[in-house]
Amino acid sequence: MTQILIPIAIMAGIGLVLAILLGYAANVFEVKQDPRVEELILVLPGVNCGGCGFAGCEAYAKGVALNGADPTLCTVGGPVVANQIGDIMGVKVNAQEIMVAYVKCNGDCEKAKDKYEYHGIMDCVSAAALPGGGAKSCTYGCLGLATCVAVCDFDAIVIRDGIAIIDENKCTNCGACVKACPKNIIESVPLNSRVRVACNSLDGARDIMQNCEVGCIACKKCEKACEYDAIHVNNNLAKIDYDKCTQCNACVEVCPKSTIENLLMIHKAKPKDITA
Amino acid sequence: MLALIERLKNGLFGENPVFVQVLAMCPFLAVTTSVENALGMGLSTLTVLIFSNALISAVRKFIPNKIRIPAFIVIIAGFVSIIDLFLAAYLPDLYKSLGLFIPLIVVNCMILGRAEAYASKNSVLHSVYDALGMGLGFTMALSILAFFREILGAGTVLGFQILPEAYEPANIMILAPGAFLTLGLIMAFINNKNLKKGKDLLKIHDCESCGMGCDMPKPEKMNIKLDAEAIQKGGAN
Amino acid sequence: MDLLIIFINAMLVNNFVLSRFLGICGFLGVSKKRDASIGMGLAVLFVMSIASIGTWSVYTFLLEPNGLDYLKTVAFILVIAALVQFVEMVVKKMSPALYDALGIFLPLITTNCAVLGVTFLNVQDKLSLGGSLVNALGAALGFFLAIVLMASIREKLDRVSSVPRAFQGLPIALITAGLMAISFLGFKGLI
Repeated sequence: MTQILIPIAIMAGIGLVLAILLGYAANVFEVKQDPRVEELILVLPGVNCGGCGFAGCEAYAKGVALNGADPTLCTVGGPVVANQIGDIMGVKVNAQEIMVAYVKCNGDCEKAKDKYEYHGIMDCVSAAALPGGGAKSCTYGCLGLATCVAVCDFDAIVIRDGIAIIDENKCTNCGACVKACPKNIIESVPLNSRVRVACNSLDGARDIMQNCEVGCIACKKCEKACEYDAIHVNNNLAKIDYDKCTQCNACVEVCPKSTIENLLMIHKAKPKDITA
Repeated sequence: MLALIERLKNGLFGENPVFVQVLAMCPFLAVTTSVENALGMGLSTLTVLIFSNALISAVRKFIPNKIRIPAFIVIIAGFVSIIDLFLAAYLPDLYKSLGLFIPLIVVNCMILGRAEAYASKNSVLHSVYDALGMGLGFTMALSILAFFREILGAGTVLGFQILPEAYEPANIMILAPGAFLTLGLIMAFINNKNLKKGKDLLKIHDCESCGMGCDMPKPEKMNIKLDAEAIQKGGAN
Repeated sequence: MDLLIIFINAMLVNNFVLSRFLGICGFLGVSKKRDASIGMGLAVLFVMSIASIGTWSVYTFLLEPNGLDYLKTVAFILVIAALVQFVEMVVKKMSPALYDALGIFLPLITTNCAVLGVTFLNVQDKLSLGGSLVNALGAALGFFLAIVLMASIREKLDRVSSVPRAFQGLPIALITAGLMAISFLGFKGLI
């Protein structure tokens, strides 16, 4: 009989001691958490993309509730989530502009030349480290080896005809592709600015004419045509100031290389004469 | 009867613990050095699974929700101890070859997972059927891997010399690397079949498929759609 | 000298992951990113040390003198689960920074075969308290070594898109583990 009683007693004893230990610990070591953190976590998208600059949605929730972080940092959730965060924290949140990522290059397989045929690791960072900055003749151009596609958590980027194209319906402006591109060719632009310069090259006109049919040659026709002082050419590259741009399309029409594009009008655009 | 067949099919093919759920990797790789060991381990796990599913199902109404996981673990550990002693007494050779992995059946995620996912919510009879299905599925998976490892590593199956005497056995198949490589190739084969059917790639079971119910955050991808109105209104500036 | 042999045995010659097949689920699951795997390795080190001390004490003072060797399965798993839960609560309260680094892995390794395995091996090989601790240390460092190596390889492997679709993810990770296991076989003659 004792052979059965002793093990039962010992096991019960161990169980009891552990239970008391855990019960005591649960009371003494309780960590009071700000209840707002839980509410914020429920409101945030939960994708943990890191676009806000914090190490994930839980870290951002803690940052907002405990350290007063900016409630508008979640680009994935956009204005809807920013307003909800504002409601929970009891602060007023300014309306934000929706931003998306944009690839500043139209030099696809047909329009841009390659220096050589590339057979190697299908990764832009590795290819850009080679002498000459990759297979494209233009050293500032998109290599199309899909590093940005790999880092996108939202399946918003595809490679078509050798360059990356971003689907603005899926892009959440988390910034992962902007950081990943070794050529710094991806930029965050306001969604509503449909007129954009599709070139990143600082090369002079002579090099561009040899390398790419749609590169910016810095002829300054756009700068002269703009009535709103919204576009300027610096370092051989035209840049649009999106705050001033009224999308009148004056620059789009005068650009001889069709570098500036209006994304609403792409399907109506006429092919421009290259030698013009 | 129908329930039994449905549970058997589920365990063997639909939710096979190794080839679909990717659970119980540790014993899977370790004991498949020969088909005999694999069958022994599979049947031991099957026995533990049947008894623990039955008992957990029988007492499911009496276990408070907060302590159900420790309670399940204690029940499973109890049955594992019984099987351990049984094998030591009646099948000492198998006991020696399986060694450490018999007590490690306790932490076989498959058993706890079934207890959590099925036994705690269904009747005793159905839980036993489920245990049968899962256990047989596990045994089948173990035997397949063991078959390849044993035939290439020793030229035998269940002790019978299958390959001709002139075959020089590839010892590495019996050692650790053989398990990894063979399993990798089998997984790739299954992935290939799954891709053709349009299913997802296999991945190691993560928090969503485990039955443990610990408090880890579960990220969910959000579908973000911009509609035309939002673009028209545009965030004011 | 004995302790050194135990340590080298646990870490290299019979590496827990690549030789004894313990802790595979955790190994394959967490080794996608190097930072996560460093956190996991440290958490395993933490848990294994505490678990070894706890279970050795329970075995030596309660189970063995009463001839209750057969109860060790149940007793050990209870002790490990409770200890890890206790430690998690203490860490969460005392050091939020440490909790952020290790905390999420603690529930994952409670029922990891590696932790239970090392406690059983301590008892099976009849080691002293010091020996058990050194065994646990060696095992944890071996796990740490394997998982960090694996994560470094996998990070590079995932970038290269020439891995065939059917092999992506788990199969190529297993094959990589197999090749690592072959290299670790080279330690066989060390002791």
